[in-house]
Amino acid sequence: MKILKQAFVLFGICLIGQILAELIPVPFPGSVMSMVLLFILFILDWIKPKALKEVNAFLLENMAFFFIPSGVGIITQYDLIKNSVVQILIICIVSTVVTFAATAYTVKFVMGVQSKARKKRGGAEQ
Amino acid sequence: MREFIDTITANPLFGVTISAFAYIFGVTVNRKLKTPFANPILIADILIISFLGILKIPYDNYSNGGAFIELFLAPATAALAVKIHQQIKELKENWLPLLAGTAVGSFVSILCVLALCRVFNLDETITISLFPKSVTTAIAVPICQSYGGIPSVTVIALVFTGIFGAVFSPMLIKIFRINNSVAAGTAIGTASHALGTTKALEIGDVEGAMSGIAIGMAGLITTIYSIFIL
Repeated sequence: MKILKQAFVLFGICLIGQILAELIPVPFPGSVMSMVLLFILFILDWIKPKALKEVNAFLLENMAFFFIPSGVGIITQYDLIKNSVVQILIICIVSTVVTFAATAYTVKFVMGVQSKARKKRGGAEQ
Repeated sequence: MREFIDTITANPLFGVTISAFAYIFGVTVNRKLKTPFANPILIADILIISFLGILKIPYDNYSNGGAFIELFLAPATAALAVKIHQQIKELKENWLPLLAGTAVGSFVSILCVLALCRVFNLDETITISLFPKSVTTAIAVPICQSYGGIPSVTVIALVFTGIFGAVFSPMLIKIFRINNSVAAGTAIGTASHALGTTKALEIGDVEGAMSGIAIGMAGLITTIYSIFIL
């Protein structure tokens, strides 16, 4: 029954996440809502990660498996994308490089400001 | 014979079995070759598509079983909370640079995709499908569905993005002279999700942990951006 109980809790949280997502007036994926909900339950210590261990391990270890049918669906969309394959690849490459640089420089900048602020505070105390 | 094949493949067991086989095969090949190019999703999808094509099995028959597998997408996404919770210490220590980095990075990613889609004059549905392509599959696919995109286009684009990130992130670190582990890890996770994170884990512990947290944060931030932008 252990696995079934864990599945019950996790599926139940997902169902509640889905309900919450439907209730808010903007489109918001129910699964992301469920992730936030579960994270909050962990922080509040209402649920311990250990209590869902087996089912979560199954889902996390095989995460990629659950996306395989979505990828196969590409055969029904062939007509739509056949003329845009090269463009899509260029978009993926360019945006990945630009995103990488923007993220890395932002983190460096914020950490630089933080360490300067820390030094200043340290200097003022002395 | 034709009728027999149609009846058998219309059973959901067919789609589930062939998907499981293709995935196990993909993972095995990936472990043998040890290269991000041999991506399990890519291998499995090519295998299934070829099989359906050769035996002329209708896609709808396959999707009877495929829909059953997709039922697990929501719980799998929710389970990501466990991953983030495991790294709560690193998250508390670096929350400000992480938040700033993923917020700016995700915004730039979206702007870049939208701008290029306009330049190439791509179809609106393709634009929406590409919009979340830098975040993890578990979050990108639901975003795509919420706004009427095509999940399969999102999956293919994000697998490609992930492979590119995993292969080229060490080079990007050098080109942009990122001599800071937190910055490098956050950038890898934000730009190329879980696939890039596999490379970040090879580069270093801090890079791997930051990249892992960045996946979740970038996913959440992108979800919020999409409410305002789409």
